[in-house]
This record gives sequence, structure tokens and C-alpha cells, in this order.
Amino acid sequence: MSILEICGWLDNSPLAVAIREWNGLFATIETFHVIALVQVAGSIFLIDLRLMGLASRKYPVAQMLREILPYTWVGFAVAAVSGSLMFVSHATQYYGNFSFRMKMLLLLTAGVNMLTFHLLTYRGVANWTLHPPRAAKIAGAVSVVLWIAIVTFGRWIGYTMLPF
Amino acid sequence: MLKDLVAWLLSTHLSQTIQEVEWIVPALQTVHILFIAVVLSSVAMIILRVLGLIGRAWSISEMAARFLPWVWSALIVLVITGALLLTGEPKRSLLNPVFQAKMAMLAAMIGVTAAFHRSVRHHPARWNQAAKSPPSARLIGGLCLLIWVCIIVAGRWIAYVTVP
Repeated sequence: MSILEICGWLDNSPLAVAIREWNGLFATIETFHVIALVQVAGSIFLIDLRLMGLASRKYPVAQMLREILPYTWVGFAVAAVSGSLMFVSHATQYYGNFSFRMKMLLLLTAGVNMLTFHLLTYRGVANWTLHPPRAAKIAGAVSVVLWIAIVTFGRWIGYTMLPF
Repeated sequence: MLKDLVAWLLSTHLSQTIQEVEWIVPALQTVHILFIAVVLSSVAMIILRVLGLIGRAWSISEMAARFLPWVWSALIVLVITGALLLTGEPKRSLLNPVFQAKMAMLAAMIGVTAAFHRSVRHHPARWNQAAKSPPSARLIGGLCLLIWVCIIVAGRWIAYVTVP
């Protein structure tokens, strides 16, 4: 089955039909998405600024990550679920949308950046928890740029989809 | 009176430009969203500290001193981008009850934040002495976080409520 065929199948699913036709349902799902995304982006910026040594310099990195990341993950879960529901409701159109594709690509890249940081650089955090090494600073900077781009393309999806 | 303001704004060159150049509104909205993330996460850090859920290694006044500058700076950017968005689409905002509700809640939250800022600066002992914040502080803190989220929801729903 091609991706386009899967999108078509999703478009015709009862779930997609319900989201498209029940008054206010899409808007409600989107609202959860907006709240979740500002929470995710905000908490990630907090951590990135810390990694770059630009803010909260007295907050040990390990402690900060331990305290903040749970909230980031909950927010990301809400954003992912709400995003998936929105996608399902207009799958073919989103799939063909340039901004949507860029956003997905950038999310993947941000994931790789975070994974690399956690599996490699963060391993030695006990040695540098107050003064992040260059690798951590780069991870933070890359993350800031990626997430700004993710939010931007996310906003542009709304502007480039056909009205529904 | 509001309708006169709307008419005047629509007649300005700035308003015309914002309406005519396609990318200005989405760009302003993107900046607006990014700085909403900054305000929300900064406010959340302070409130979560008042609730005793994070950052217990620091006093409430230390957390406030660290994050309030971000709240105020981000709010300035939000007021500027908001004013520009309003100038470009005055009818959609000024005459919209959802927008008006958002402004009312925002005014209230700015007032509460200013009062908190003053209290923490002039009477730090009140906040730092007890091991746990008094129930009233925690209740108000929780309520404020909820209202900040409602402000974001209202912001998103401006687009969904049409002005007659």
C-alpha cells in the first residue's frame, strides 16, 4: 500500500469523518495542540538556554533536566496525539503540504539531536553539571534553531492548507 | 468608540501594509507564539516552585528573580506583535468578544504578576520562611496558571468566533 493510499484510507475512516463533521471538534483538538506545543517549546528553550550557559547558570543541568523533562514529555505526548488526530482528518492534504513535510523532517532532526545529546554528551554530566561542555552548548543551540523552525512551519501549515 | 478606533486603524498606511504583504501576519503570529512559550514556561517555573513541585533547592524569591525578567521582556514583545496584529486586523480583534475576554484576563494576570513581583522583592521572608507555601498562595498560583492557559485558548479562538 502506498503512502497516498494509506492517506486516502485515513481520510475516509469514521474517525476522520467525525473530526471533520462534528462542530468544533477539530478546533478543540487544535487548541490542545497549541497549548501543548507552547509548553514543549517553552520548556525546551529553558533547557537549551541552560545548556548554552546563557541562563539559570546556578541550576545544575542534571537536576534541571530531571525536574523539567517530565513536563516536556507530557506536553509532547499531548501534541503528538492531537497532531495525529488532526493529520488523520485531512491526511492526503497534510501529506502533500510542504510546510507539514518540513515540520515532520525537523521534528525528526530535533529527535536525533536530543538522542545524540542524551546518549553521548549527557553521559558525562556528573563532571560538568554546572559548566556544560561545547558539545552540550551545540546541542542546545541546534535545538533552539530547530524548534523555532518547527513552530514556524507549524504556523505556516495553517496558512497553506485549503480552507475547511 | 471602538468602531471609530477600528475605522481609524484601517485607514493607516501600517494597517494597509500588514494586510497586503502576505507573510507579515503569519510571521508576527509565529513570533507571538514563540514568546507565548517563553511567558508560559517562565510563569510555570515560578508557580510550580510556589506549589513546591520543582526547584526546591532555591527559595521562591530566587526563582522569581530568575524568571520574572523573562516574563516581563517576553510580555513586551507580545504586546508589540499583538499591537501590530491588531493594527492589521482591527475588526477581527477589537470588536471580537473572545479577544476582549483575552485582554481582560491578560490585564488581570499582569496585575497579579506585578503584585507578586513587588511582594517578593519587598517582603521575601513572607515567601521564603515557611517550608511549604500557604494553601492560599498555592491556590492562587494554580488558578493563575489556569488563567494563563485560558488566555492562550482565547487567543486561538479569536479566529473561530466571527465578528458580526
